[in-house]
Amino acid sequence: MTARAQWLSALLAQYSVFVPAIVEDRVHWHRLESAELGGDGDNLTPALRRIRAAEPVKSFLFTSREKVATFPERLEPAEPKVQVLFGVKSCDLLPIRVHDRIVGEGEFQDPFYAARRKNTILIAADCPVPEDSCFCTLLGLTPYATEGADIALSVAGDGYLVETLTERGEQLVRASGLFQTATDVHVARREEERKAALEALGRINPKPWNPDLPRAIAAKMSDEAFWRKHAATCVECFGCLMACPTCYCFLLFDKAKEKGAERTRVWDACYQAAYTRVGGGANPRGEFLKRFANRFECKWKEFKNDHGFYACSGCGRCLTVCMGKIDIRNVLGEL
Amino acid sequence: MTNPYQPIPATILKTIDETPTIRTFVLKPEQEVPFLAGQFIELTVPGVGEAPFTPSSSHFQREQLEMTIMKVGRATSALFELKPGDVLGVRGPYGKKYPLERFEGREVYIVGGGVGLAPLRALFLALTHEIGKYKRILLRYGARTPADIVYKDQVKEWQRMDRVDVDLSVDVSDERWTRKVGVVTCLMDEIPCDVKTSVAVVCGPPIMMKFVTQRLLDAGFAGENVYLSMEKNMSCGVGQCRHCRVGPYLACKDGPVLTWDQVKGVEDPFA
Repeated sequence: MTARAQWLSALLAQYSVFVPAIVEDRVHWHRLESAELGGDGDNLTPALRRIRAAEPVKSFLFTSREKVATFPERLEPAEPKVQVLFGVKSCDLLPIRVHDRIVGEGEFQDPFYAARRKNTILIAADCPVPEDSCFCTLLGLTPYATEGADIALSVAGDGYLVETLTERGEQLVRASGLFQTATDVHVARREEERKAALEALGRINPKPWNPDLPRAIAAKMSDEAFWRKHAATCVECFGCLMACPTCYCFLLFDKAKEKGAERTRVWDACYQAAYTRVGGGANPRGEFLKRFANRFECKWKEFKNDHGFYACSGCGRCLTVCMGKIDIRNVLGEL
Repeated sequence: MTNPYQPIPATILKTIDETPTIRTFVLKPEQEVPFLAGQFIELTVPGVGEAPFTPSSSHFQREQLEMTIMKVGRATSALFELKPGDVLGVRGPYGKKYPLERFEGREVYIVGGGVGLAPLRALFLALTHEIGKYKRILLRYGARTPADIVYKDQVKEWQRMDRVDVDLSVDVSDERWTRKVGVVTCLMDEIPCDVKTSVAVVCGPPIMMKFVTQRLLDAGFAGENVYLSMEKNMSCGVGQCRHCRVGPYLACKDGPVLTWDQVKGVEDPFA
């Protein structure tokens, strides 16, 4: 068994392990099974050099459906099994910070999220081959992790070059007994690859955005023609919002059970017509154009003003899934 | 760690029909809900859904919670089917209270419309409980018809209280109505208090709020002294789900009461 497979095997012995894998030329998250690491080599090589998986990482932490309360019996949050996300990208990490801010911290911390977050080990992988949909650098991010994960990893020959970013990451690496100190040559190769990735992103997105998007968006909010032009091909499928790793809107819905009732939290989408509707029927964002503009106001104005960073990591999932081929870079680039 | 989405049981002790479509539910929660006037509560109709309501009872009396509710949608229709003895869920309190400390020594001019008098009653009861702290309380209330007036008996008592000035109007009168006829702004041609130092508090349907606010500003109230109930679709109640955003604010966390100065920059704040 290769050292790589040995490490994954050791992780799998203790944790649930998810890795990026190619399915029909797309990267998807895949639950690693021990059989895939059997024999004298690894039958599965995680697709670590490709861009982020199609599924947003929020699926692992802030799940699309979660039972959050029962009535009248109280629901006590269970301790989830520790999971390892092996090969998250830099553009997957900022969205976790977004969820931490909203549901992971503060007076009304969500215990379901907090438990999963605590029990999730994040092993980041460099992103050496950006694709046309990528724009992390427009948001000030890099195509490699420097914080927010436990370990930052890059593929080096048939091994991994790792840099530990947290105490937990350091322990994981030490406990494996599989790593030796990297040579300058390894590190130099990683730096070269990182530089090349940055240059590639510069070629993909040559024009920087307006440095003060909050102000630029505020000035555009009542410009109906602007939003009408950019929303023209939107079919209101909400795919962009579901695929978005930073979108955190949710809805609580209740359902009668044989004994009592149950409350489920599901992802919601601010493009839904009824999103702001109240019991009496009033609906402040009843018109679609207002809902379309709201998405931009929320992510690139309000969130930035409230938290100091944009609720966007440039992962490009929204434009990849869009049936109307709406590329938000065209919207934001025009501000 | 507590679970913010988990309601606690509250038994319906009594219901009071205020009007054909508005009912007050007197609830006894399993644990005391330490609300202050202006804050709201998420009320669960088990198995049907949840909606935000502001208690209408005094915050000096917390073992029981009164909620005055209009039957308008799915959850409230199911709620109206329930009887004394049935159990609901409550969680909260959420949001910000009325800043009563800022009201001390001043005249408080309260304007309500329809079921909007519910949260204002919690405020009114809190103010009159310590009436010595305030200069005077003026209440202006408008309802559609005399039959649509909520808290009919109490309103009569309030009219007899010292340092309290109450006036009512209805849009459509009947043969026994002796007061003004017209929307509530018809009671505001004269505002008999010092508008420079007074505070105004408004709650009612959006269109009423819009015109009342305009009238208050025209009369000389400062925007920072005009308190508006900006109830929106407050689903989670705890500043997470985002449905109740009003410009840079979340109604559930920063409100539901916001001042005119806070909302005046928002496009169409009364939409």
